[in-house]
Amino acid sequence: MFPNDYAFHWSPLHVLFLGIFFTVLIVVGSHFAVALWRASRGLRQNRYDAIRWHADFEDFPPELRACRHALTGECADRKCPNAFDCRQCRLHPMFIAKGLLPAECMEEVGGMIFPADRYYHRGHAWARAEADGTVTVGLDELARRLVGDAPAQLPEPGTTIQVNGSAWQYQTGSGSVRILSPVDGEVLATGGASGEWMLKVRPSAGSLDTRHLLRGAEVKAWITRELERLQLALAPEPTGATLADGGVLVEDLPRANPSADWDRVYGEIFLEV
Amino acid sequence: MASQSTFDRHLIIRGLERCSTPRFLLWLLPWVLLLAFGLYGAGLCLVRGLNQTNMDNRFAFGLWIFLDLTVIALGAGAFFTGFLLYILKKKELKAVINSAVVIGLVCYSGAVAVLAVDVGQPLRAWFTFWHPNTHSMLAEVTFCITCYLTVLVIEYLPVILRNRKLRQIPSFLLFEHELHKLMYVFAGVGTFLSFFHQGSLGGLYGVLHGRPFAYRAGFALWPSTFFLFILSAAAVGPSFIALSTWVVSKISRKRLARPEVYDLLGKVSGRLLILYVLAKTVDTVIWINATSPDRGFPAAMFYSWKPFGTWLLFAEIALFGLLPALILLDGKRRRRMPWLISAAALASAGIALNRFVMTIQTLALPTLPFDRFLTYFPSWQETATFLAVVAFGVLVYSFSFRYAVLFPQEKELNVAQPSQPEPELVAVGD
Repeated sequence: MFPNDYAFHWSPLHVLFLGIFFTVLIVVGSHFAVALWRASRGLRQNRYDAIRWHADFEDFPPELRACRHALTGECADRKCPNAFDCRQCRLHPMFIAKGLLPAECMEEVGGMIFPADRYYHRGHAWARAEADGTVTVGLDELARRLVGDAPAQLPEPGTTIQVNGSAWQYQTGSGSVRILSPVDGEVLATGGASGEWMLKVRPSAGSLDTRHLLRGAEVKAWITRELERLQLALAPEPTGATLADGGVLVEDLPRANPSADWDRVYGEIFLEV
Repeated sequence: MASQSTFDRHLIIRGLERCSTPRFLLWLLPWVLLLAFGLYGAGLCLVRGLNQTNMDNRFAFGLWIFLDLTVIALGAGAFFTGFLLYILKKKELKAVINSAVVIGLVCYSGAVAVLAVDVGQPLRAWFTFWHPNTHSMLAEVTFCITCYLTVLVIEYLPVILRNRKLRQIPSFLLFEHELHKLMYVFAGVGTFLSFFHQGSLGGLYGVLHGRPFAYRAGFALWPSTFFLFILSAAAVGPSFIALSTWVVSKISRKRLARPEVYDLLGKVSGRLLILYVLAKTVDTVIWINATSPDRGFPAAMFYSWKPFGTWLLFAEIALFGLLPALILLDGKRRRRMPWLISAAALASAGIALNRFVMTIQTLALPTLPFDRFLTYFPSWQETATFLAVVAFGVLVYSFSFRYAVLFPQEKELNVAQPSQPEPELVAVGD
């Protein structure tokens, strides 16, 4: 195995064979060590949220990865290649520049109110820029009816949150539910669990970056699709929607329908694997 | 909704439908019992010695070595799928790579475990590394198999670290992420190691001068069996991945991979298999007409000992080689699942038969005038140890299938699709 070992000879075959063996060991060991070192560096740099989101996104089924512009019919079926981060998207500015969506927006969709003064994240949090430069973050109406009266676990003021990272959580009967952040920034204050807003955030970029958020006419197309997905997720078997059309979601859906697979529903709607 | 316990259901990735906890436990029960029985048999061999087996100084390779050679060949699907995906960039195979890694891990860890029992002195296993006999093919096999098993464990880590609960632990997910980025390196090393140890396992038989049934001429250091083992393992590996995916799909009643994935596996397997059949035929013709007569044995003599007649040769080359190769090369037939799976099953059975012939038939045949035809039937301890490997494989695969994403396409293939919106305004295409 090594020089001076009784079976070792300085013959070309010995040297070649053991040379290859040790090279393999070094390659495998060093790359394993590099992965460990990079992981510990990532931990120090607080990259978990971003990587978790990308890992989850990769595991989403294709219909969950639909591009916002496909939802509105601006383009044919297209899957988002940027993990819903339109800030990275090459095509998004082109769609915006075309201005194909109608200017008017509807605040009521499916019997729920989606105020036009705010931007919506695909994970059902909303963000509203305030006059003092802060951003208020809350949960949209559809999501609020899904979590019902579950207690919220809000981050401490001073916590840094990232877009698509965890903003706050709910403890529901089927486990914890993570709400994705629509904004990068530092939490300044937290609202009450029953309040309209959940977080006041000082955005990292100085102001609210809205490129990855939905607004106006997009919201109707998105929520309509979300309601379809919700129907599918609530169906007892994956054979299609079973809820009657035309109704309005009740205020506290888990209480009204406790036998549903809520773990699955929350995963589908709040974008968590 | 399956009635899973809260703990159990929170380990299962959302959107993957899995059976209820009691049903899963019921499925595990016979395999656990089989594993326990097998461990008892293996324990007897380790404690009391190899007299618990029906092997002896003449019949030194038995059921275990046959099992080792077969599972290592079938496990070649792991390295070859990794090679096709990470090195040749066949992206379609991402759909089965995780399953291939688990199958590879199960096959190689089972093989190493059985070898540890077979060697009979597991506490001295390190001797083979510290004092390697560099003149033996087995030294290279031992080094490569243990290195490759290490690589397979590393390749398996990202699969398991993406479990729903484990991914919530930041250090685990970051490590998985970084490991995954380097996977092409491990796939490359795995390919290199597999290439050589598959070959050396074949070479092991080809250099047996005292066994003219197995002995082969070759190129430089390497007898022809070195190359035939590599080619056959690479050819059958993808077939076995297709077959195992289909079997899991039937047992779980889920669609796990798109037809294009099966088709690609079948196509690759078919092309390599026809090459193997051609090479094996040429090798056999040379052996019959030159190698064997040169050593004083007409090849026909080897087939005069029943039950090892010429039918074995025919079955090995034509029935389990040429036939599946032709089916897999025919695009129309390959795209029909019953044909594809039948061909994959034939090819997988063929490699087992080849390893059986090389191991058992080689040792059973007499080679000296005073020799007799030897018979061997494994003892219950040997059989139990063999079955323990099977049970171990099923258990590891079952847990992996339940708690990890072995087939990334499973979710999309098994959910009802919401209606697609009519594209009213098409502004920018992809």
